[in-house]
Amino acid sequence: MDFKKILVAVDGSENSARAVSYTGDMVGDGSAKQIMLLCIERFPDRDLFPDEEAWKKRCSEHREELQQFLGEARATLTAKGVHDNRISERYVVSCSSPFADRSTARCSFGTSIAQEILAVLKEERFGTVVVGRRGVSKAEEFLFGSVSNKIIHHAKDCTVWVVA
Amino acid sequence: MEPDNRAFVRDLVAQYAPHFPRKRCGRLITDTSEFMAVDHGDVIALGGKHYLVLRDEAERRFGMEDPKYWVKRCSELETGERKILKLVFYETFPLKIGNFEIRCHRSPEKEARILDLVRGDLRFMQGETIRDEKDNAVRVLDIVHGKQFDAVIENIDTDHETYFREHLPDLLEKFIGACESIAHLHTLGEKHGDIRRDHLWVEYNSGAYRWIDFDYAFDFHENPFGLDIFGLGNILLFLVGKKEHTTYTMGGGAFSEQVLSSLTPDDFSLMFPHRLSNLRKLFPYIPNELNNVLLHFSAGTYVFYDTVDELLGELRPCLQLLR
Repeated sequence: MDFKKILVAVDGSENSARAVSYTGDMVGDGSAKQIMLLCIERFPDRDLFPDEEAWKKRCSEHREELQQFLGEARATLTAKGVHDNRISERYVVSCSSPFADRSTARCSFGTSIAQEILAVLKEERFGTVVVGRRGVSKAEEFLFGSVSNKIIHHAKDCTVWVVA
Repeated sequence: MEPDNRAFVRDLVAQYAPHFPRKRCGRLITDTSEFMAVDHGDVIALGGKHYLVLRDEAERRFGMEDPKYWVKRCSELETGERKILKLVFYETFPLKIGNFEIRCHRSPEKEARILDLVRGDLRFMQGETIRDEKDNAVRVLDIVHGKQFDAVIENIDTDHETYFREHLPDLLEKFIGACESIAHLHTLGEKHGDIRRDHLWVEYNSGAYRWIDFDYAFDFHENPFGLDIFGLGNILLFLVGKKEHTTYTMGGGAFSEQVLSSLTPDDFSLMFPHRLSNLRKLFPYIPNELNNVLLHFSAGTYVFYDTVDELLGELRPCLQLLR
């Protein structure tokens, strides 16, 4: 496993912005061979909206926010010295998307973002995975789950950086 | 008000429900959007049938009647059967769980979808969704003739040890079946969303356990079944303890000072710091294996059940230990 191949999982949150920034600080000297910014699209459930239009509108806004975030994350890394040609982006669309692209080869079921991050990690043979952490209590973890905790528990043959 | 409309209702009620007071007959409702205005004596027309509204349903919580204006107890005029009609009501509200507030969304479409999925599966309430003229998804539900699960337990008039030895084994077996039905729902990609002991009913005739009310939706993803599992854990604590044992109820001499002083914060519920999870400290005849299941819901746990199957994997073997 090559620890200089780095997967940075982002979700548009401040915590993932910190994870990107930290990664830039650590490898901005050119020591990373490859950095992939991975964003798993997760739309709110259709059940939460009274009508299709309101749901589509929120999904569309959410997608724009995430794609803008990816652009900003790339800019953060290059500003910290990472060569642009070593940065790639992967945006995995939601399988329950209201848009036509849900039939793409890979889509996210959204049931476990952590498992999907780990699947990309394994398939693409990344040696390091970086995630932000919002910091949850034990009770919150029980009810809502925690992506970073799941990654810590299930990751194998790699280094995990958790940026809190 | 349209006089013909009221005359039609009076004639219909006179034909099918002649004992219903004529002067109470109201309007014919074909658009249920304004559910607050649908009142006793109105008749809702849906799918070729007519439902005479008898009253709004209410939930009794904390000793108070909480009216549910969008849920109507009705008589289906053509058959004479009692039905519950849930009219479309979208709301988002904070739901308090212990120290948390989570955003809860009432989703008629979710409930309609689950009703379709569990049709014929009598472990769940039964009904069909019929759309009114404005496309509102009205759920027409069969009434479960039975008692709330907690009332069944509370009505067993005996001490805990007798209850534990004579009643709990059969009750636990039934409860395991109720957990299996929730696990089945999860395999269908759905969540119950509001697992509470008053949403589990025990039918009078068959003794079957049936879940009701599936319209709560939440935006949880990383642990999508966590809230349902938490609800099952709460019911299990009630079942094994025969009631809730809290810091407010354990005094009064029922338990020795030695027992009470042995309790630590880790022995209490992860969500409700006054509710005891470590029941074996009160009732030492509870087997360790069963108590360990309860401790998964305590503040002291570091291991959570991710799925109902994981819970069942540890709960099923306990049944043999009780028999």
